Amino acid sequence: MDLIPGIEATASALGAQRTRLDIIAQNIANAHTTRGPDGQPYQRQTVSFESELLQQAGFTGPLHTVRVGAVAADKSPGERVYDPQHPDADAGGMVTMPNVNLAYEMVDLITASRAYEANLSVAKNSRQMALKALEIGR
Amino acid sequence: MAGRLLDMAVIRHEAIASNIANAETPGYRRVDVDPDFVRVLRTTQAKMAMPASELAASVVADQHARTVRPDGNSVEIENELLEMSRNTVEYDFLTDVVSSHIKHLRTAITGRNTS
Repeated sequence: MDLIPGIEATASALGAQRTRLDIIAQNIANAHTTRGPDGQPYQRQTVSFESELLQQAGFTGPLHTVRVGAVAADKSPGERVYDPQHPDADAGGMVTMPNVNLAYEMVDLITASRAYEANLSVAKNSRQMALKALEIGR
Repeated sequence: MAGRLLDMAVIRHEAIASNIANAETPGYRRVDVDPDFVRVLRTTQAKMAMPASELAASVVADQHARTVRPDGNSVEIENELLEMSRNTVEYDFLTDVVSSHIKHLRTAITGRNTS
């Protein structure tokens, strides 16, 4: 048995949530990017999580770690704005904006950071339990 | 006996850690210590039928979760956090119990109060 219980699941979740935070940061940073490397407006990226069965010696039961399953582009069309002065405007003066909705991104940001905090508190508790186990017999 | 319960507290902590880690994984069902374990523990203690060392707790998926979200996930993160605090306190208490057992043994061996 591990010295620090539950640390693998917690560590994997912290990593997954951090990836999610990175992607959200990328979306917000590119909220007004109308031309990417491929010449198209930026497409919002979404993260999906998968659970993975934790194989551990001497343990029976379905314990799961988390991993990032896929980072995929959100295919929904971006808003089209009339702005003839814009360098990326087409012949009709319309500019296609990225499909990033700042409100959604902020909500996702809060959810991800709360989930990160929850997992941190699990890590803190695990450590406390491990230290307490070392104190047995003192 | 306290040692068995300590093991169970560790396993429960692992289950809670797994639940909180997967709080946003679609389709994940929350897990907990096998309820049979607690029942078997009670009956064996009542009858003194079997030494406690033969018992082992295991983790099973919780079939009776109160709510399941549309994505098939049944974790309620608030409950899990509360459950974790409770379990940690229980664990602290059990380590104290084990410590005091050891202290008693030492007193019996040496004849002195070593604390």
